[in-house]
This record gives sequence, C-alpha cells and structure tokens, in this order.
Amino acid sequence: MFIRNKLLPIFITILMMFGLSFNAHADGHKGMKVPSIKSSVLIKGLDAPWDMGFLSDGTMFFTEKCKGLSVRTKNGKINKLYGMKGSKGYADSGSDLFCSGQAGMLGVVADMNFAKNRALYVYSTSTKYHGSGCKTNFEKCDGNIVMRFNVSKDLKSVSNRTDIVKDIQYKPFESNQPFGGPGAHNGGRLRIGPGGFLWVTGGDRHRGICPQDGKLLCGKVLRIDGDGNAHPGNNPPKGFDKRIYTYGHRNVQGIDFRPSDGRAFTSEHGPWHNDEITGLINGGNAGWDPAEKRAGRGACPDKYCGYEPNQKKGMDPSIRAAYTPMSDTRFKDLMPAAWNNNGYSQGTGSAAFLKGSNWGIYEGRLAVGIMGIGFGDTPPGKRIDLISITPDGLGINGIVRMPLGFSKRFRGLVMGPDNALYVAVDAGEIYRVTGELN
Amino acid sequence: MNKLFQVIFFLFLLSISKISFSADKKAGEKRYNKTCINCHGPAGKGVASYPKISGNKISYTKSKLEAYRAKIKQGPNSSLMFMFAKPLTDEEIANLAAYLKDAKYN
Repeated sequence: MFIRNKLLPIFITILMMFGLSFNAHADGHKGMKVPSIKSSVLIKGLDAPWDMGFLSDGTMFFTEKCKGLSVRTKNGKINKLYGMKGSKGYADSGSDLFCSGQAGMLGVVADMNFAKNRALYVYSTSTKYHGSGCKTNFEKCDGNIVMRFNVSKDLKSVSNRTDIVKDIQYKPFESNQPFGGPGAHNGGRLRIGPGGFLWVTGGDRHRGICPQDGKLLCGKVLRIDGDGNAHPGNNPPKGFDKRIYTYGHRNVQGIDFRPSDGRAFTSEHGPWHNDEITGLINGGNAGWDPAEKRAGRGACPDKYCGYEPNQKKGMDPSIRAAYTPMSDTRFKDLMPAAWNNNGYSQGTGSAAFLKGSNWGIYEGRLAVGIMGIGFGDTPPGKRIDLISITPDGLGINGIVRMPLGFSKRFRGLVMGPDNALYVAVDAGEIYRVTGELN
Repeated sequence: MNKLFQVIFFLFLLSISKISFSADKKAGEKRYNKTCINCHGPAGKGVASYPKISGNKISYTKSKLEAYRAKIKQGPNSSLMFMFAKPLTDEEIANLAAYLKDAKYN
C-alpha cells in the first residue's frame, strides 16, 4: 500500500522528467549531429558544366558539354586546356570532338597516381571512329570515347592524348521517340574505384538491343585500367566484352563507391517511370531491355520500346513500368534496385557518397542530383536527395531532401578533398556545398 | 471641329486597344517559371539538350508555340512540346513571347 501511495507518484515523476528531457533533445537536435548545410557559387557563367574531378590539393578539372576541358587551380585561376571543335581560347583542341543533344564532353577524373603520372581521363563524343557504321540509327556507330591526357605541371596544357576506349556507341540521327534527337543516352560519368581502376558508365543510345547485347558497350558499366584494358576480375557472362562490369543499363549518369565497403552504386534516369539507384554486382544485369518483340511486346517505334506504351502521351507510370520495366524480373542475374524514386522518373543524374564526419548524421549517405523534369503528370522535383542505403544494397533506410534553399538542374556531383560536395548545374554554375557541425 | 473630335476619339480607342492587348511580361515570366523553366532553364537560356528560347522576336516565339499547340511537328522533341503547349491560351502565349524576347540570365 505504501508503495502504491507514495512511490508511484515519485516513479511517474522521474519517468516524466526523463521523457521530457529526451523530447527536448529530439526537438532541438541536440546530440544528433545534424549538420548545418550551406552553399556558395564557386564558378558561374559556364556553358552546361557537366562533371568535375579533383586532385588532393583542391585543383579541380571540369568539363563544359559543348566547349571543353578546363581546370581551376587551387588559387582559383581557370585555365582552358582542351576544347572541342570550334571552341575558342583553349590551349589545344580536338577537331573530332563535338556535341549534339545530350552528347558532348561529359565525365572527367584524375588518375589515382596523378602525382606521378599526371594522367587525366575525359569522356567525349567524337567523329574519329565512326567509320562507315553511322549511316543509320541501327548500326554500331562508335561515337563516344574515353581519352587519357598528360597534364603539364603548371596546369596550363595537356598533351599525349590517347584514346583508351574508342567504341562506345552514339545515336547519330533523330528517331520517333520523346527526347528523340541525336546524341541521346550516353551515360558518360567517369570515376576511379577501389584499387585505382577506371569506371565508365554508359547509356542505351535509344537502341533497343544495346543493354542486353554483350558485344556492344552501350548500356554498360565498364571497369578498365588506365590503358583501356579490362580489369582481370571482371566477370561478365560468357561471350561478353571483358571490359563490361555490369550490363542492362538505360542511362547511367551517376556512380560512386560506398565508403564502408567499396561497393559501386549507380544512379540512372528512368523512362517516364522508375529512376533507380542500384548496388552493382560483378557481371550483373540491371534489367533494362527496351528491344522490341521481347517480353510479350510487339513492334515499337524505331525498334525501341523504351517509352512505350503510348509514348507521346502522359499515363500512369506503373503501366509503363509493367510494359518495359527498368528492372525486369525475368532476368535471373538481375541486380534489384535499392530505390526507384517512388515509381517516378524525374531526371536522376549524378550521385556521390558524403564523406567526412562534418556531415554528421548524413555521413555515408548517397547524395543524388535530380534534374526534375516533369512530364505526363509527373511532379517536377529539382533537388538533391540524401539516401541512406541498407547494408545489403537492396533498399533504403530513409531519404531526406538536402536543405539548399534553391532548386536547379543538378547535373554533376562529386566530393572534394575538403569533404565538401561540389555540384554542377545545367544553368552554368558550380556550387560548393558544405556540412558543418555546430 | 468634328474631324478633330474624330481623330482624338480614334487615338483614344487606339490607346485603349493597346492597353487591352499589350502582352504582360511579368505574367509571362510567372507562366514561364511554372513549367518551361524545368527544361529550358532560367530565363530561357537553354540547358542540356533543350534549346535557348530567349532573345527571339515576339512573332517568332508566338508562331512556334501556336504551332506546337496545333500539334505541328517542328523538331525531335515536338511531342513533348505538344503536351506543354496544349493548355496555353492566346494571352499566355503572347505573355510568354513578350517575356522571352528580352529575358536574360546572369
């Protein structure tokens, strides 16, 4: 009786005190390490900046899709290094490099041993290897390449251009599709992965057979060395090009490596449905197969079912997803997506894992740039999402929108050596985004 | 006197009609930022594979939008433009054309 009358109120009071205390912490984020996120413009006035690659001292190489390759030195000076055909003000240029539609000079990354070999890799569209294979949209048409340059010590020029990959396919002509102009779906992101190997992302270039064809490099992710040779550990299906790490992709514009285990994750555009983040498995199939007369489909416009059915009108994304899935479960070697943007396609592009304790509770999350075009009743959503991916890579723990205070078409994301996130936007700026704990 | 009155009345009517039908750049900017900006970028500067649409004559932009609204093909992304032009009124097209003529992005 004594316990019920005297101790119970005391016990309840103590519980309430602890409860109130916990709630106060939660509301004020005390002890939760929520970073303060700030952004500033690093460079403005660019023409469609696409990608950036850093050296350890903060030197930043960057590409402009229709102009060329430049470098911002650690002192903030910008040197124009290698232009495309017709570009002016560059130390050198390539008369074979051109831009058209989505294609142009895209990815850039420095070699892991840059301090010793001064090697820099750049992805671009080129006429050099077209040969006679680009007369129609239904030929091989080798039009995307990866170049290796040597960068001078004063960062004012590049030399010894060597084309280490010459046979990534390109779409030469307009086709009967939405976004159907030449130059569609090139992928184009370059990153250095664990062990110093070069990863190259591709797109399906609006050709139905590309993603599942083992001899064509369109719709693939490649893992190669600095000379363009296949990584000896690549394990594609029998008969495939050995440079292929994964296949069955649509248009991969984002790739990065999870800091906790080094696993590669890609981000890619969906076709009016299902943008995807996918944890890669060596030799795996991302499940995109837009070829006609497969999986119960009939003929499609220009032999490409990627936007079908009813490709020129808005409709429920789930109906499209059932017709031509981004991750088709009929493939036994399918790599299931970790995230599908709630079934929407909003222009999911580049991605980078946030590294550094300065990001607090967001450290290790995948920052994903979304360019936010809304067609067919899809809500536009220009934003950067911060996604916590489960350890098995098959799902997400949670997702928040990065509180930037503005919306842009976020094209290229990469971590800098200062643990800041650098972001290229189509409108012409490169931002530096920082996370700081108070 | 009668003629003078007629001239003044004519000029008055002219000014009224001008007020009634002159395009509203501000309204055009607001409409542009509602949907067009998602593809064509700020102030119609053009981004990615979407062309620059600022700096053109008003008559040119109007004719393009009217053609898209009428589902007349004008390039590889026409089918996308059909969707966006379909709900545009004559007034919105005039406003958009007026805004885009001088729109600039810093």
